[in-house]
Amino acid sequence: DDEDDDRGGGGPASAEEDEVHVRQKVPEVDPVEEANFEEELRAVMQESMEQRRQELRGRPSLNMMIPMNVFEGSAKDHGRGAMGGESGDEGQDEEGGVSKEVPVKVLVKRGNKQQTKQMFIPWDCSLVQSTKQKEAAELEE
Amino acid sequence: EDTADDDNYEFGKGDFTEHACRYCGVSNPACVVRCNVPSCRKWFCNSRGNTSGSHIVNHLVRAKHKEVCLHKDSPLGETILECYNCGCRNVFLLGFISAKTESVVVLLCREPCLSVNALKDMNWDLSQWCPLIDDRCFLQWLVKVPSEQEQLRARQISAQQINKIEELWKSNPDASLEDLEKPGVDDEPQAVALKYEDAYQYQNVFAPLIKLEADYDKMMKESQSKDNVTIRWDIGLNKKRIAYFIFPKEDNELRLVPGDELRLRYSGDAAHPAWQSVGHVIKLTAQEEVALELRASQGAPVDVNHGFSVDFVWKSTSFDRMQGAMKTFAVDETSVSGYIYHHLLGHEVEVQMVRNTLPRRFGAPGLPELNASQVFAVKSVLQKPISLIQGPPGTGKTVTSAAIVYHMAKQGQGQVLVCAPSNVAVDQLAEKISATGLKVVRICAKSREAVSSPVEHLTLHYQVRHLDTSEKSELHKLQQLKDEQGELSSSDEKKYKALKRATEREISQSADVICCTCVGAGDPRLANFRFRQVLIDESTQATEPECLIPLVLGAKQVVLVGDHCQLGPVIMCKKAARAGLAQSLFERLVLLGVKPIRLQVQYRMHPSLSEFPSNSFYEGTLQNGVTVNERQSTGIDFPWPVPHHPMFFYVQMGQEEISASGTSYLNRTEAANVEKIVTTFLRSGVVPGQIGVITPYEGQRAYIVNYMSRNGALRQQLYKEIEVASVDSFQGREKDYIILSCVRSNEHQGIGFLNDPRRLNVALTRARYGIVILGNPKVLSKQPLWNSLLTHYKEHECLVEGPLNNLKQSMVQFQKPKKIYN
Ligand SMILES: [Zn+2]
Ligand SMILES: [Zn+2]
Ligand SMILES: [Zn+2]
Repeated sequence: DDEDDDRGGGGPASAEEDEVHVRQKVPEVDPVEEANFEEELRAVMQESMEQRRQELRGRPSLNMMIPMNVFEGSAKDHGRGAMGGESGDEGQDEEGGVSKEVPVKVLVKRGNKQQTKQMFIPWDCSLVQSTKQKEAAELEE
Repeated sequence: EDTADDDNYEFGKGDFTEHACRYCGVSNPACVVRCNVPSCRKWFCNSRGNTSGSHIVNHLVRAKHKEVCLHKDSPLGETILECYNCGCRNVFLLGFISAKTESVVVLLCREPCLSVNALKDMNWDLSQWCPLIDDRCFLQWLVKVPSEQEQLRARQISAQQINKIEELWKSNPDASLEDLEKPGVDDEPQAVALKYEDAYQYQNVFAPLIKLEADYDKMMKESQSKDNVTIRWDIGLNKKRIAYFIFPKEDNELRLVPGDELRLRYSGDAAHPAWQSVGHVIKLTAQEEVALELRASQGAPVDVNHGFSVDFVWKSTSFDRMQGAMKTFAVDETSVSGYIYHHLLGHEVEVQMVRNTLPRRFGAPGLPELNASQVFAVKSVLQKPISLIQGPPGTGKTVTSAAIVYHMAKQGQGQVLVCAPSNVAVDQLAEKISATGLKVVRICAKSREAVSSPVEHLTLHYQVRHLDTSEKSELHKLQQLKDEQGELSSSDEKKYKALKRATEREISQSADVICCTCVGAGDPRLANFRFRQVLIDESTQATEPECLIPLVLGAKQVVLVGDHCQLGPVIMCKKAARAGLAQSLFERLVLLGVKPIRLQVQYRMHPSLSEFPSNSFYEGTLQNGVTVNERQSTGIDFPWPVPHHPMFFYVQMGQEEISASGTSYLNRTEAANVEKIVTTFLRSGVVPGQIGVITPYEGQRAYIVNYMSRNGALRQQLYKEIEVASVDSFQGREKDYIILSCVRSNEHQGIGFLNDPRRLNVALTRARYGIVILGNPKVLSKQPLWNSLLTHYKEHECLVEGPLNNLKQSMVQFQKPKKIYN
C-alpha cells in the first residue's frame, strides 16, 4: 500500500523498517479436525463443570471483598477517556485504524495481598459496558 | 588448552528462549502462557496458525490440562490465572467481571462464584461475565495474538502434527516436533526442496544431511592414521617446535589443508618415554611435505627421527556452526529481515527495493575502471535486498564485489560482512577491498593464525599484536613474555586473555568491513556483531547451511556471488549428496526465479579459448575483454598446429588403468606425453610457473608428478615447480598454459568425473594463452558435451595426432553421443 512506499525514502533504511509482504495462502482448517476439536473442547468444559460441582458440595458460601484502595485510585484514571491515545502501541489494531481501548485495572491476588495492574481492553468488549454507560451518564450531566 | 575456546562454544545450549511456543516457536512474552500442570510446564502461544483453536487452547484441550500461568514479562507479570474469590484455576471455568461503577475487572469462576448470592449486594456487575477462553482463544487483551509477521515467521504446524506430538508427549514429555519426523537409521534422508513451509522444516531437511556429512568426514579423517612416519625437527620464528614430515595422500579422499589439526605420537623406546602432542598444519609443500606446529613441545623426542605416528584430529566446529545457524534462522526473528527470511524459504514475497541514494559513479578508488556489465551489476545490487551475481571465468568478480562492498560501506548502515567458503577467496577479496581505502579486518580461525597469508597486515591477530598505543603496552609485555616462555602464570594468562579480547573487540568494531570464511562468521568473536549487509563470494561452492552462517547475523541485504556453471561444493558423503546437499543456495534461488546478473566480459582467455565455453555454458554471451594480440606470446616457439588458435586436442589411444590404491585411475601414455609437452613448453621459453597440468584423477596426478621428476628431459627442479593438480583445486585460478590429461580410455565404462559439464567448464577456462587437451576421442565422444568439444576442435583443425614435432590432423571417428549428461 501507498503508506509503506513512502517510508525511508532517500536516507538509509532504519533497522526497524522490516516490512515484508508475503503472499500467503489463506489458512484452511480441516472440517474434520474442526469438528473433532469442538467435541473435545465441549467434553473438557463439561468435565470441568461436573468436577467443580462435586468438589463444592457442602462448602460454605463465599464472600467477595474488594479492597477500597482499588476504587480510590481509579478515580483520577478514568477521566482520561476511552481513546487509548498514548498507549496505542498496546493494541494490535487489526483494521489499521486507531485502536480504541479502555484502560482498566485488573485485580489479582498475590498470595494474600491484592494488587492491581492497568491493562487496556478493546472498547467494544462487553466488560466495559458499565464504564461506557457511566461516561454517557457523565456527558449528559 | 589455551587456544581451544573456539571448540567449547556450543550452539543451542541455553541461547534460545525456553518460553517459545512448543508448537510454533513464537516467543513474544505478551503472547505466550505456560501450562501450569507440574508434569507439563510447556509454553504455548495464543495464535491459531492453521488450526481452529489457538495453540494454548489446542494444548489444554488435547492434553486435558486446565491451568496456566502468564509470563513474567507480560503486562500482568508472572500470574497463575485463578478465581479471585475461591482460587479455582480451571481456565475453562474462568471469566472476567467488572465493577459496576469503576474500571476494575477481576477473574471469577463460573461455578460457584458467579452464582453466589453474596456478590449481588456488592459493586460487581455479574451480568457481563466474560469467559477467559472465547472463540477457542484466550482473551486477546490478556494474552496477545502474535502479529501477522510473527505468525508468518513461526513454524507452520498443522492440526495433525499437534495431535501427533500431544500423543507423543504422553509417553515422552520432552519430545520435540523434530522427533516426529526422525527417519530410521537406514532410511534415505529426506531430499532438499525448492520451497519450505518455515525455517523449522528447512532445518528438518538440512540438519540430518549435515549430520551425515559430518559423520562421514569424521570417520574418514580418523581412519587416516599413518605409522612409521619420519620427522625432521625445526623451530619456528615464534619459538614453537615444528615437525616436518611426508603425509602421502591416498587419491581424492583426504586433502590436508593448513589449519588442520594432527596428533603426532611416539610410542617410546629405552631412552624416551611415550609422547604425543597435537599441532596445526601451517604449510604444505608441493612435494606433500607437511609442516606441523606443535601446541606443546615439552618432552618431545627431538633427537629421534623415525617411528612416529600421525593421526588426524577431527573437529566438528564447522558442522556445529552450520547447525547453529539453522537453529538461529528458525528461532531468532532478528537473525535475518522478514523479507530475506521468506525469500530464502521460497515464499512469494512482493518485490522490495532498497531505498538508498545511489552513488554518482559505481567504480571505487584503487580499483580498475568497471565495464558496462560490472557497473550494471553494482548498480542493481545496491537497490535490491537479495541479488545474485554470476561471474563466469575471468570476468572480474572480485573487482565487482569489492566495488559493491565499497559502496555499501559508504551507505552508513554499519559494518559490511564479506565471506567466501575458502580462505584463498577471502584473502583475495580482503586485499581488493582494502585497496579502496576502507578499513578491513580479516578474521582467521585461531588454528590458522600461524599460516602465512598474503593479507597478514589485515588479519585481526596481526593487528592485535601491532596496535601501537600506550594502553596496549601491557598486552604487548604479556605477549612478549608468553612468546619467550611459552606460557604465562595463570593470573597473567587471565589478564592476557582479557586484554586480548578487549583489543580484538576494539579493532573489529572500528573496521568498515569484516572479512572471514563462511564458517568463520560463526566465530564466537563475532557473536555480538550485527551485519545488515552481507556479500558472499564463491557462494556456489558453499552448501546452503554454510551460506547461512554469515546471513543469520542480521542480514537485510544479501549479495551472493558465484557461478553455478562451475563446480559446486564438495560433498564427501554420497547419501547426503544424493539428497541434494551439493546444491548451493545460489542455485536454489535461481530455480526460484531470481535472475542472476551476469558479468559478461572476460579478461583471461585468448579469444579462441573462450569461444567454446561461451557457447556451451553461457549462451554465447561471454565477450572478450582481451584481444588476440594481448594473448599472443611473443618469442615462444611452440608447435601449435594452427598458430592463431593456441589450442589442440591431442588424440591418445593408451589404456587407462586402475591406480595402485584401487580407487583412482591413471594413464601412462598420457602421462608420458604430458612430460613431452611440458618439456617442449620449457624449451620454447615458457617458465614453470606459467604452466599448469590438470587432471581429474588423483592417481594420474601422482603418476605425472612422479613420472616427470624421474623422466623429465630437462633439469629436475624445473618439473618440481610445475603445478599438477585436480580440476577442482584449480577452480578460481589461472595459468598461462594449461595441459589437461583426461585419463579415461576404456571400451565399456563411463568417463566418470568428466561427465560433469561444470568440471569441463572449469578445466577449459583456466588458461590465458594456450591449452592442450590429451584424451581418447572415441571414448569421450559418447558424451554429448565432449562430442561437441571434439567437433569444435576438429572444425578448427586442432584435433591432432602423431609426434609433437610433426602433428597431423586426426581422422579418428567419433561415436554417436548418448543421452544428455549421464
Ligand atoms: Zn500442559
Ligand atoms: Zn504457537
Ligand atoms: Zn471461584
